[in-house]
Order: sequence, then structure tokens, then C-alpha cells
Amino acid sequence: MLSATVLERIAIAIASTLSAILIGLVIVAVAGYNPVQFVNQLVVGSFGSERAIVRTLRYSTLFILTGVAVAVAFRAGVFNIGVQGQFIMGGFATVVSIVGIAPLLPENAVGGTILIAIGTLAAIVAGGLYAALPGVLKAYGGANEIITTIMLNFIAIGFVGWLVAGRFNDPEATATRTRQLPEYVELPSPIVSDPNFSLVGLLVMLATVAAVAVIMARTSFGYDMVTSGYQQSAAGYAGVDPKRMIVSTMTFSGVVAGLAGAVFVIMIQGYYTDPSGVGNYGFDAIAVSLLAANNPVGVVPAGLLFGGLESAGSHIQINSDVPVQLIDGIVGLVVLFVAVPELFRMIAKRTGLGGENR
Amino acid sequence: MSVADYTARTSVRLGGLVLFVLIAFGVALTFTDEIALERLVTFGFLSRSLEMATPIALAAVGGLYAEKSGVFNIGLEGFMIFGAFSAAATMYALGGTSPTQGHVWAALVAAVLVSVALTVLFAVLLIHFKADQIVAGLAVWFVGLGFAPFTAAVIWGSRSSPGLTSIDPIAFGQSPLILLTIGIVVASWVVLYRTRYGNWIQAAGENPEALDTAGIDVNRVRYATVIFSGAMAGLGGAVLLAHAGNFGGTGETMVDGRGWIGIVAYLFGNYNPIGAAAAALLFGALDMLNVQFQTVGIDLPSRLVNLLPYVAVIVVLTAWGKTRMPDAVGEPYESEE
Amino acid sequence: MTASQTTPAVRLEGITKRFGDVVANDSVDFTLEQGSIHALLGENGSGKTTLMSILYGLYDQNEGSISVDGHEQTFDSPRDAMEAGVGMIHQHFQLVPSMTVLQNVILGHEPVDNGLINDGAARGRIEDICSRYEFDVDQYLDTRVEELDLGAQQRVEIVKSLYRGADVLILDEPTAVLTPQEVERLMDVMADLREDGQSLIFISHKLDEALEIADQITVLRDGEAIGTVDTAETTEQDLAQMMVGREVLFDRLERESSTGDPVLEVDGLCMRGDRDRRQVDDIDLTLRSGEILGIAGVQGNGQSELVEGITGLRSVEEGTIRLAGDDITGMNRRRRIENGIAYIPEDRQSEGLVQDYSLVRNALLGNQTIAPYANGQILDWDEVSDHAAEIVEEYDVQPPNPDATAGSLSGGNQQKFIVGREIGHDPDVLVASHPTRGVDIGSVEFIHNRLIELREEGLGILVVSSKLEEIRKLSDRIAVMYEGEFIDVVDPDAVTEEDLGLLMAGHEPTNEPPQQSDPQPDGGGSRD
Repeated sequence: MLSATVLERIAIAIASTLSAILIGLVIVAVAGYNPVQFVNQLVVGSFGSERAIVRTLRYSTLFILTGVAVAVAFRAGVFNIGVQGQFIMGGFATVVSIVGIAPLLPENAVGGTILIAIGTLAAIVAGGLYAALPGVLKAYGGANEIITTIMLNFIAIGFVGWLVAGRFNDPEATATRTRQLPEYVELPSPIVSDPNFSLVGLLVMLATVAAVAVIMARTSFGYDMVTSGYQQSAAGYAGVDPKRMIVSTMTFSGVVAGLAGAVFVIMIQGYYTDPSGVGNYGFDAIAVSLLAANNPVGVVPAGLLFGGLESAGSHIQINSDVPVQLIDGIVGLVVLFVAVPELFRMIAKRTGLGGENR
Repeated sequence: MSVADYTARTSVRLGGLVLFVLIAFGVALTFTDEIALERLVTFGFLSRSLEMATPIALAAVGGLYAEKSGVFNIGLEGFMIFGAFSAAATMYALGGTSPTQGHVWAALVAAVLVSVALTVLFAVLLIHFKADQIVAGLAVWFVGLGFAPFTAAVIWGSRSSPGLTSIDPIAFGQSPLILLTIGIVVASWVVLYRTRYGNWIQAAGENPEALDTAGIDVNRVRYATVIFSGAMAGLGGAVLLAHAGNFGGTGETMVDGRGWIGIVAYLFGNYNPIGAAAAALLFGALDMLNVQFQTVGIDLPSRLVNLLPYVAVIVVLTAWGKTRMPDAVGEPYESEE
Repeated sequence: MTASQTTPAVRLEGITKRFGDVVANDSVDFTLEQGSIHALLGENGSGKTTLMSILYGLYDQNEGSISVDGHEQTFDSPRDAMEAGVGMIHQHFQLVPSMTVLQNVILGHEPVDNGLINDGAARGRIEDICSRYEFDVDQYLDTRVEELDLGAQQRVEIVKSLYRGADVLILDEPTAVLTPQEVERLMDVMADLREDGQSLIFISHKLDEALEIADQITVLRDGEAIGTVDTAETTEQDLAQMMVGREVLFDRLERESSTGDPVLEVDGLCMRGDRDRRQVDDIDLTLRSGEILGIAGVQGNGQSELVEGITGLRSVEEGTIRLAGDDITGMNRRRRIENGIAYIPEDRQSEGLVQDYSLVRNALLGNQTIAPYANGQILDWDEVSDHAAEIVEEYDVQPPNPDATAGSLSGGNQQKFIVGREIGHDPDVLVASHPTRGVDIGSVEFIHNRLIELREEGLGILVVSSKLEEIRKLSDRIAVMYEGEFIDVVDPDAVTEEDLGLLMAGHEPTNEPPQQSDPQPDGGGSRD
């Protein structure tokens, strides 16, 4: 997969997505719904109106950020499946720090800006630390990071859920949730006015993508990371300390995941609920990153696609009887197909679509 | 490889897990000095622990066969979800909301068949099309997390099933599925260490070329173990359902990480089916601790107590995590260019 | 023997095998007479192993036919070949290290009783074979293969083939991993097998061994059979010429003796290997500028660990390492690179190059913190690109395209690229581990000449090699390493290859085979 040309990667990504959607449609039909109508709702729900587009951009922002977090780790050959947990810890840290510090600062835009900075910093630290932990356990204890990060996801959900219901519960709220961020803690929203989306958030996301891309391609740290991912033994030969690399990679990945958590809280939610209900951004991010062949720039189109699917999901939930979990299943199928590039190569060969080089 | 060898190396790891469980008890007891240990560790607790351990043990035995032969099946969790769901759907199709015991057994069989069918596809992707084992295994989990609740919603209008029936106990209030699991674990041990198929499985995972040059088709061995691992994970899911009595599809579904814990169980057991089952039993005990605390009236936040097995996995994996994996795990095998 | 004496044991006719565009075997004819030993001689990559893999059913030939005992055969798998009585001892043993000798011998052919393996029956058959050929294998049936030394593992392989009923045995480079004494023992085993009517094919690139044991010799070059000769009627020079197609000079290169300052000093170095076994035991060495110090030894005697200790890839247990007088014992790999230790690694495929990277990206490997390629953290890809182009040009790397991936190059060209890169940043010390392993003859000469030139320019060079010719040709001094120690340091002009061989076997010239009935755990060798 790594040796494939860029064009081939794109072709495989498109083929994977189309195959997954096609199977999804067959399942829709078998379950007794109208697949044509379903496709129509997919399109309308993702890009069919200004509201749909804004919603798609909102989800995409999160998918791209979490997708970049996954891509950083996967590119370096570290399987951080724990982006969901790091995303939760980050977001929760934002809420706790802002709510806790707000009374000490003036209740105006200046105070708001400072709080946003503090909240974001808290998220980055929390996400980074929560990812560094399995990194350290892998590097110095030999604990398989796939399993530990999955366990840490379960733990983050349970632990934050316990805190949200207990110590940090808002007694005045009817639902189980934390207190809300102060009203003046919000991102400015030029051009598009939507309570849950801001172009500033989008710009933060794009800046993150650009920064990560530059680090990976143009710094010696990035070269060390990518080389470790391609060929661990060659990286060691070239002077990379494999243990420290694992920890730095995980931390880097967790920092981006934490940032995604902060954006989620500040731009969208405004408080924290039980984390089993915040959405599976960190899991779907794995699909986003794989679809982009773990390339941070490629994550942007892949994240847009997933944002569109998620957005269509919310539309379908309201406007159709097709259970919305179908979208999750389709996401799983996308990952499955991405795992098997050989399948498409063989099909391309048989049908003569593969070009002469393969 | 002798049994003594295994037990010698495995006992350290298992000892660690026992220690963890004891510490967990100890911590619990410091919260309250009113309640004596004998009220906490009761026959009912042990029996419920066994019940909780069975799905984990089944998945672990399947997973270790696949990995011994050189294929890391990290889709166990996903196949358990499919197993649990297919069992529920079968029960409901046969007996509506009040299925009979016969329907329960039919559901177990159906779950295994569905899992086998799905694993055959999975195995073809892994072995024939050389899919990335980690990514494809994750995908199975995601597919399970999506399609099981989806189909549940199609059938029942909600992600979870209505109440169905759980399996009746036989002697001493024990579930017959516990006996079945013990039988499977022992049989797996015999096949792995006392038959030629066991030798082939080990050779396929350690040095597939050696097996190939001995004239045994490596990939056939791997197909067999991967399909077996799916069947066992599916059965594990179905057993979970047969004990619970209804399908839960919210959150991470009712399987809730047990497939992942199964992987850790066989790592602790050093790829030995009996060791894996023993580890599963300890995880089962941790899982039941919460219920037991409530039964005897210890007031601990259940949300946190529920996290114990996950914490145990991390602690023990770190302290005793350096298992020696079979050499050829993850590498597709081709006998000719 | 049921077949008549005139029917050859194996006859290959017009075998052609292509891998993509590469022709590995080009219409090769080969005949093995009953009860004889036939050597198949050729350089690495001449197509010997491919030809035998076809006979053993691992590959399908594109053209040509195989007959065994006069019957034409089509082998789709090794199982077919084995049923026809053909067994193969591979260069990399086809053994499962974590399983016992017994399990390995019977793998795929287990006697079964009520579904369980019949241990007793298996033992009985193995004991029969062992007593017939005076093998010791039956005395450690319950030992795990990983605990045996390589000579014993090889005998397990042979017993395995005999157990499966082979009467034609193919031995692929069987002496490559053995000490000279173990080689002698193998020669005896082969002679015994021939006595008993077995027919053997002996694959080798070593002329003397082929001459010693074989009845007939067939030489392969570039996939073609150059000719078959009777051993009695040929000489080493004739065979060498057939192998390489031109006169080969085994002579040492003349040079001035060196008098430079010490650049690398190692004092009392002790190190542990992967299995926590002491692999380097109290080594002292001094390398001067303008000197090539050769380290000879059978693979697995601590050379790899020593090299890793000096280059900073493995931590040191005791002792000190000084570079130009400064203690660098605790310095990490990266800082050592920056301080002027260049390293041509033993394993260029996995360490020296990233296979999927272009040559440009590979030109940065190891240099990613060194100016002018890096300016602080920021990389300057233009500089790297220029550097790659220079290496390709100066070292005649084929194809001359810096954008080609490293994996697409031949071994020789990969190695030339690494040599070029490692010299590029003007180091003080060059550690070259097996610098010409698996490299074509043209590139070998190129690399040797380059190393000598660098020596003239004042570089201190440490060369580790298991090829005696190479060590003798290049070195100013030769240190012989055995079980983690320097057994002796000798003058290459004053030592014979025989003496070197004895030193490599531990300086104990004895006729007793080193492998006694009781296998030493982890004795002698390491697996690769």
C-alpha cells in the first residue's frame, strides 16, 4: 500500500468508498427501503442546502482534525486507536478549565479570548498526555498500543461519564451534563452565521493540516517519524531512538486529537455530556486517515466525504425511516476495502483498467 | 513443548492478574470494614464469574489459534457482535418474544453459522487478497458496530432487542454453556499439542516455509484457523446473549470490549488455550465485582468499578506484556512468486 | 536401488525459468548419476537455487522437463517432489525454531494413532535412520531446534529428508554457515550417504569444496549451464574461469603500511546479544587513520554486536570506546554519526536503505541532522537532491536516476549508493560490515578499490567480513573473532587461509568434530 503511486492511492480510495456505498444501498434495498430515495437523501442531506453545507463543514472540521491525529500516528507506524479517548479527554479538559477559570476573568470578549486560549491549551495538554501514556507503556513496557488505546477509550468514556454525572454535573440542568461555557466564550463567526459553526474553526483546522504537513515533509523530526513508519530498522540505523519516537509520535497525535476536542466544545457543544453520546469522531477518524493513505493533506477530501456522510445521517434520521446506524456500517466497509488494495488491483487487472504499470 | 514449560512461564503472568484481582478486592474492602470477605466471595459470585468468563474464553481460544498460525485476527470483537446479534435475531424469528429453550440452542447454532460465513469472506480478504490484518480487523469491528444495531433497528425499531429468553441452568444452577466452553477449551488444547494439526498450526505461524516444504499447504491451515477463530468469537457472542437474554446495541453494544479482552487473555495465557481460559476467568471475576458489590451493599460508583477489567488489561499488559509472538504473524504467505 | 545403473537419478532438460523480464535459468540441462555427488557451482545469482527449487517443486519452470529415476515428472509442490524421493536442504534451514527436533523431523508426515501423534513410532523410525548413517540426531529429539548449533540443525534437516524417504538430496550452500571443522564433518556425512547409494546435489560457490567432495561439477553462470566436468579432470583455475568468465586474481593489493594516529580505540568492551548472552567479551582494539583493520570470523561470533557497539546501535555493558581521543561510550547513535562515524551496515535491505524511498530520500538517511542537508530542524531538499545526484554519478549507480526507489535497484547498486552516502559527509571512521555480500563481481571490485582509496586519504576503516579473500585483500591487520573474543591479530601477508580457518574455529586444531552428542545450548551460532 505504501509503495503505491499517488494516483493509485486516489483510485483505491474512490473505489473503496463507492464499493462501500454500493453495498450499503443493497442492504437498504434488502431491508425494504427505497435505495434511490436514500441516495437522494444522502445528497440533499450533505450538500443540498446552505444549512446542509454548513452542517457538512462543521462535521468535516472535526473529522479532518481527528483524521490528521490518526494520520500522524499511523504514518509513523504507531497504531493509535485511542484518538476517541484523547478527543474526549481534551474536550472535557476545555470545559473544566474554562468553567473553572471564567470567574477570575472579565466577562467580555477579551476574557473570552483568553479563556479560549486557556481551554485550547488545556485540551492539547490533556490529549497529549492521554496519548503519551500508551506510548510510554509500549516503548518501555512492551504493551501493544492497539489494545491499550482501545482500553483507554473505554476508560475515558467511563471516567468522564462518571465526572459529568457527579463532580462536574450542572445541578440546574435537566439533562446529565456539565455547566455551560459562558456566552462570551465563542469563536467569531464571519460570513456564515450558525450557532455551531465558525469559519475561524475551519481556519484553525486548515492551519493545523498545513502545519502537520510541513512538519512531516520538511523537518528532520518529520523525516524521522515517516522513516520509522516505513522501516523501523532503517530509522534506527539513521539515529532515531525508537522508544522516544513512539512516545513523541503518540504525544503529537494526542495533541491534535485534544485540539479537535477543544474545537468540538468551543465551536459546537458548549458543555460536556456523557461521552458515550458525543459521536464517534475518533473512531471514524481511523477510516478518514486510512482513506487518505495517512497523508495529512489527503485527509481534507476524505474528511469532507465523512463530514458529508455524517451530515446526511442527521438529515436521514429526521426525514427517513432508514436507521441511521447504516452510515456507521458503511464507514466500516470503507475501512475494510481500504485494507485490501490488492482486491482492486486484481479487479483492475482483470478488467484492463489498471494501466500498464501494474 | 511440554506442559510444564508452559505452566512455568504462564504462571508468572497469571499470578500478576490474580494479584490485581486481589488488590481490587483489597481496595474495595478498605472502603467498608463492615462487610467480611466471605460475603463478597460467594458461590454465586464464582458461578457468575464463570458465566462472564465463557464468552471471553471462547473468543480467546479462537484468536490464539489464528495467531498461532500466523494471522492476527483483531476482528474478534466484531465477530462477537455479529454472533450476539444473529443469535438474538434467530431466537426472535423462531419464537418471537418468548422463545423456548430449543430456540435458544438453535440460535447458538445459527450464530456460529453466520460467523463462519462472515469469517470465510474475511479470511479470503486476509489470506488471498493479503489485506492489512490490523486495518481489516478494525474494519470488522466497525462494520459490526454499524450493521448489528442497524439491523436491530430494522427488525425491532430500536438498537436493542426486546426481552427474549436466557438459557436454563442445568445441575447446581450452572449454565450448560459453561460446560460446553470447558469442553472446547480442553479439546483445543489437545488438538494444539497432541495432534499433527497442532504441529502444522505452530509451524505455519513460526516458519511457514518449513511447513510448505513439508508439503502442507500453509494457507489452508490458516484458512482453517481463521474460520475457527470467527466461529468461536461468534459462539462467544451468542453465549453472551444466551446468558443475558436480550440484545443490547447501544454504545459499543453488549459485547463492550470483550473481544479485545479475549485477545489480552490469550496473550496472558501465552497462546495456551488453558492459560487463556484461566485469564478469561479472572477477567470474568473483575467484571462481576460490580454486581457483587451491589449485592452485598458496598457503595462504590458502578461506573468506575466497571472500568476495572480495562485497567487490569493495561496494567498486566504493561507489566507482563512481552509475550513472544509467533515469528510470521502478519506476513502473508506465498509459495511461489 | 531398483533403477538400473544406467538410468540417471535426476535428469533436467532444457529448463527455462523467467521472473518477469529476468531469465533466471536459460535452457539448462543437468544430469545426476545414481549414487554420486554432483556439485552445482556458480556465483550468487547465477541461478543455482532457482534451478533446484524447480526440481523440488517450489517453482514451476516455463520450459523444459524433469525426470527422476527415468520417469518424467511434473512437480506442483514440494510434496510431489518428496513423493518422488527428492529432498532439499535449504540454505536457510526449513526448521521451526520453537519446536522440538522430533516435531520438526516428522512435520507433515506425522504417524497418527487414534488421531493423536504416535510418538513411539516416530522415534523408532528416526533412530533407525540415525544408526544407519551414524547420526547423533536421535540423542536430542526433545531439544528445541533453537537450542542447537547450526551444524546440528543441518543434520536435523538431513534426517528430516531421509525420514521422508528421499534418495536424491539437494544441499543448497550447506557449508556457508559452518565452521571449517563442521564442514569436514558434513563432507564425511555426504560421503557416507553416497556409500549407501544416495544421490546428492551439492550447491556451492566454493571451488575447493566442490573439488573435494563431488564426482562431477556443473557450472552455472547468468542462468546458463556453462559446462559439466568430471572432478578428476579439472582444476581450480579452470572452474573459476568458467564461473566468472575471465581470469580471476586472488592476489592482495599492494600498499604502503600505515602510521597514522589512532582514531578509534576500544578498551575492555563487553556486550550482550539479543538473547542476553554475552557476545562481546573484553575486546580491545585500536584503529589508526589510514589503516584497514579486518575482522574475520564465522558469522555469529560477536562481530555484529561489536559493530553495533561501535556505531551506537547497541548499548555497551562494560568498557570504553574513544573516537579521536574523546570518550563516546555513552553517546547515542545520532551524535556518533554527527561526530564522524560512518557505517555500511551488514543488512542493506532492512537497515541501510528504506526500500520504498527514492534514492533522494535515501540520501538523507542518517544525515538528517547534518548541515547542509538540515538547517536546525528544517530540511533542505535541494541540497539532498544534489547530494543524491552526486553519489549516483560518482559511484556509477545503475539506473542513474535519483528518483528511482531503492528497492528497484540490484544489490550491487544499492551497496554502491550506501558506500557513496556514508563517505559523503567526510567521516573519520568507516565501519563496513560485509561490504560486498551479495554484490556482483564488478561492484565488488569497485567497492574494494574505493575502500583502498579512502584508506590512502587517511580514513580509518574497520571491515567485517566472513569472506577470507576479501579480508586478506583489503586488510593491513586481521583480527580473528571467536566466541566474542579476539583469538589473534595477524598479518595478512604472513598467514595462510588454513591458519585463518583454524583460528576462526577457536584455535584448537583437532580432528574431533566440535559437536558432541550433548548439544550445547545456543552453542556456536546465531540464527539470521
